[in-house]
Amino acid sequence: MEKRDTLWQLFQKKNVSRRDFLKTCVALTSIMGLSTEFIPRVIEAAEKKPLLPVIWLHGHECTGCDETFIRSQTPLASDLVLNMIALEYMDVLAATGGDRLEHQLEETIKNYPGQYVLIFEGAVPIAENGIYCMVGGKPILETVKHVAKNAAAIIENGSCAAWGGIQAARPNPTKSVAVSEVVSGKPIIKVPGCPPIPEVLTGTIMHYVLFGQLPPVDNQGRPKQFFGNRIHDTCYRRPFFDSGMFVEKFDDIASKAGWCLYKVGCRGPEAYNSCGNMRWWNGMSYPIQSGAPCVACAANNFWDNDPFYERLPNIPVPNTIVNADKVGAILAGVTTAGVVAHGVASYVQHKLHEAKAEKSQDVTAEDKPEQDKDNE
Amino acid sequence: MKHIVVDPINRIEGHLRIEIKVDEATGKVEDALSSGTAWRGIELIVKGRDPRDAWMFAQRICGVCTTVHALGCLRAVEDALGIEIPKNANYIRNIMAASQTVHDHTVHFYHLHALDWVSPVAALKADPAAAAAIQNTVLEKYSLNFTGPVGFDTSAYPKEFPKATTAYFKEIQNRISKVVESGQLGIFAGHYWEHPDYDVLPPEVHLMAVAHYLNMLDRQREIVIPHVIFGGKNPHPHYIVGGMPCSISMNDMNAPINTERLAVVDSSVNLSIDLTNNFYVPDVLAIGDLFVKAGFVDGGGLAGQRVLSFGDFPDERYTGIANGDYFKNLLIKSNGVVENFGQGVAKAVFHPLEGQDLSDPNVLAEGVEHSWYSYPEAGKDLHPWSGVTSPQYTGPKEGTKTNWKYLDEAGKYSWIKTPKWNGKMAEVGPLAKYIVVYTKIKQGIIQQPTWAEQMIVDQIEAVSKLLNLPPETWMPTTVGRTAVRGLDAQLNAFISKYFFDKLINSIKAGDTTVANSATWDPATWPKEAKGVGLHEAPRGGLSHWVTIKNGKIDNYQAVVPSTWNACPRDSNAGYGAYELSMIETKVKIADKPLEILRVLHSFDPCLACATHLYDSKGKELTVVRTDPYL
Repeated sequence: MEKRDTLWQLFQKKNVSRRDFLKTCVALTSIMGLSTEFIPRVIEAAEKKPLLPVIWLHGHECTGCDETFIRSQTPLASDLVLNMIALEYMDVLAATGGDRLEHQLEETIKNYPGQYVLIFEGAVPIAENGIYCMVGGKPILETVKHVAKNAAAIIENGSCAAWGGIQAARPNPTKSVAVSEVVSGKPIIKVPGCPPIPEVLTGTIMHYVLFGQLPPVDNQGRPKQFFGNRIHDTCYRRPFFDSGMFVEKFDDIASKAGWCLYKVGCRGPEAYNSCGNMRWWNGMSYPIQSGAPCVACAANNFWDNDPFYERLPNIPVPNTIVNADKVGAILAGVTTAGVVAHGVASYVQHKLHEAKAEKSQDVTAEDKPEQDKDNE
Repeated sequence: MKHIVVDPINRIEGHLRIEIKVDEATGKVEDALSSGTAWRGIELIVKGRDPRDAWMFAQRICGVCTTVHALGCLRAVEDALGIEIPKNANYIRNIMAASQTVHDHTVHFYHLHALDWVSPVAALKADPAAAAAIQNTVLEKYSLNFTGPVGFDTSAYPKEFPKATTAYFKEIQNRISKVVESGQLGIFAGHYWEHPDYDVLPPEVHLMAVAHYLNMLDRQREIVIPHVIFGGKNPHPHYIVGGMPCSISMNDMNAPINTERLAVVDSSVNLSIDLTNNFYVPDVLAIGDLFVKAGFVDGGGLAGQRVLSFGDFPDERYTGIANGDYFKNLLIKSNGVVENFGQGVAKAVFHPLEGQDLSDPNVLAEGVEHSWYSYPEAGKDLHPWSGVTSPQYTGPKEGTKTNWKYLDEAGKYSWIKTPKWNGKMAEVGPLAKYIVVYTKIKQGIIQQPTWAEQMIVDQIEAVSKLLNLPPETWMPTTVGRTAVRGLDAQLNAFISKYFFDKLINSIKAGDTTVANSATWDPATWPKEAKGVGLHEAPRGGLSHWVTIKNGKIDNYQAVVPSTWNACPRDSNAGYGAYELSMIETKVKIADKPLEILRVLHSFDPCLACATHLYDSKGKELTVVRTDPYL
């Protein structure tokens, strides 16, 4: 338990060649979205950093985030668990249970004070002192505070840990909250998604493994390298949006042709995630590619922004394809306005839902020619 | 008498606590208690929302069987609103459901259950050359060579087969030994590796199984690729009420589904067939055979007394579920209850379950005698359409409300309700499904079995021959529950292929429709409606119950497989399936209850779905808004 190997030492022990080690480092650099100039730093880190002890706890959740984790392709979950980190506690994969498992948790905290990363999956219910989620006869609320105390950093894994998730949707009967609502004074990062894209999660873990610190975050505490763009910014159907070519109802001609899903409720214009860039399962697909509008599953409070099949009320829609120059101008306008407006977009939308505003009126308002003129 | 608590139960979804009382002299379990220790309240959260969105909420009941609740919900809403989905949508949903089952069973056996039977530590003692020889014997003796209903030649040859070479097993053994020597055992740390039950298997079988554990960890993701193609992602793929969102076109290069996308699904389906035929089925039968020969035929509990199943895989579209039409053309007509299978199939008693039984409040109901809820009328069970729940946490017998010592088996002790069929307990799951189909065919209740029903009988008979035991002896046991899950994986791999073939033929005939949006607009709906959605999920019979009023969800209930199996006892109906299976199992060493973990894991416990239960007509709780904008 005392001596911890580095990634390179482990490769040596397992008779893996230096060449394979370097190839692994190059692959890791690329999955983390870093440029090639970072490769030497990744190699250096992998040579020197000891294996990272990890404690993985479960609160109010559905285990979808564990499942997404084991679907990771780069790195493979098996390589991560068996080679790159020391997963010291995780009740879903652990061989043992009961008091032995609880003992393992205490041993890990004792052996690696201030050195382990806490990955928390699920929300923390705080109603009635936490009795709606009991593990080992104690509320998970107590356990998360206890484990966080000596953690080096905390990863809020998935939308439940990051924002409270589905159980925090109205009326939130168990008073479920994000981990950061009950823990403070620790470096903490949000990796939202319902579930997160597998490589977004493993990429965030690998960043810590290699650089010994959490990756740079945006103003909401999410890793910029994975949440820097809206789905809309890199959507492969974006040209259809810009040309005013929309699916009007499911399975219509436009749906078969793969046009923009905005009018059937796509949240892409206000959803920050890597689905457009990375897609799911190493580029295999993502909901929009399979014909389903984005529900913004990584966004705070997205559950209460239903109904999901109503179009977003305040996204300016281009309405012509006749003039290429005009389309270009609209595109520029929409992008700038979209980014600036994002902060208020969900607020406005939410208020509109709250006021039970007539959707038809919203649509009419935003389709007015003046709106387009503004953008030009 | 020793009172033992196992909490948390590892290698499951969700939060489960077990308490047992063991006679240390005999190892006999005198009493056992199973408690779901979390409650999320999703049914309350769904209330008042758009029924077209409900599947998305219901899906998050569980991320392990990550789509079964979506399907249960869609079927319930479509049943309520009288929506008939297009045949292509039915085929696609069936492919997704079948691939989900193959995936779920595979991950369960190798990653959540295997370590109860095999040990990486024991694998270190193996002779790699002998392991290679054993691998060949296992493939020869325990592969069940079924071919399925549809011949296919899109795979040149089975690409997935276990490597039976000395070098391969030596390499795996070296890697395991480095992990063990490093002292950083990680997820393998602290287990009862010294328990004598690990001596049942020779070291070479341990090595073979551990090699496949690692192998399957990397391959499992490929089984469930149909979800990513048709539903955009996994876990939690996308659907729509009325069909599927993935439009099909052979004329559009940007179409969600075209030939190239279908070819990706085809490869995944072929892979599933290869993996179950060459890894899962031979591994589970070889291990099961050795345990049965060593006398492990315990842990059956309720399985030999009463099992329940709903049936699944509508071969073609249907008009509704509550009206009974759903049951007319199921590929697997396992709907029904079988009692006394443990006394042999001839003495077993079959009870039908379909159509009108679903709305009869006396047939299906839930009670809360030992659950942390209160009912308006004490002691009266309620049908799910009119279910009432109001949480009433009472704390443990010993300890405090937030620091338990022992729960109160005489009082309330679980967040799980107790579902009942005709006032009685029943076990659900693949074993239940297999017992019902086998009984129906053997007793002539099904006279012209479908290919899938016939395959179930053939599988059971092949295994009975292998083990040299009649079905009633080996099936209702811990080994039987685990083995039948492997058979079910094989069956479902062929079901994927069967519906893929139907989909291709339908497209070939010119039909590309995947959605029926005639009733998409809530203005077309009746003012009030109610429906039921059934699905034979990987863990067993699942039912979702919805009532809709003025276009919004008025009431929502899910009665799920783990509720049936993990439920607390009832003074009239007796013990639930988990509790009874533990009572039937002997514990050799009271402090190391490996047998208890093994029998519990044989059910594939998945607690998230069992512990969310709440009814929308229940007491209004304090409304807490976490919305920063409010």
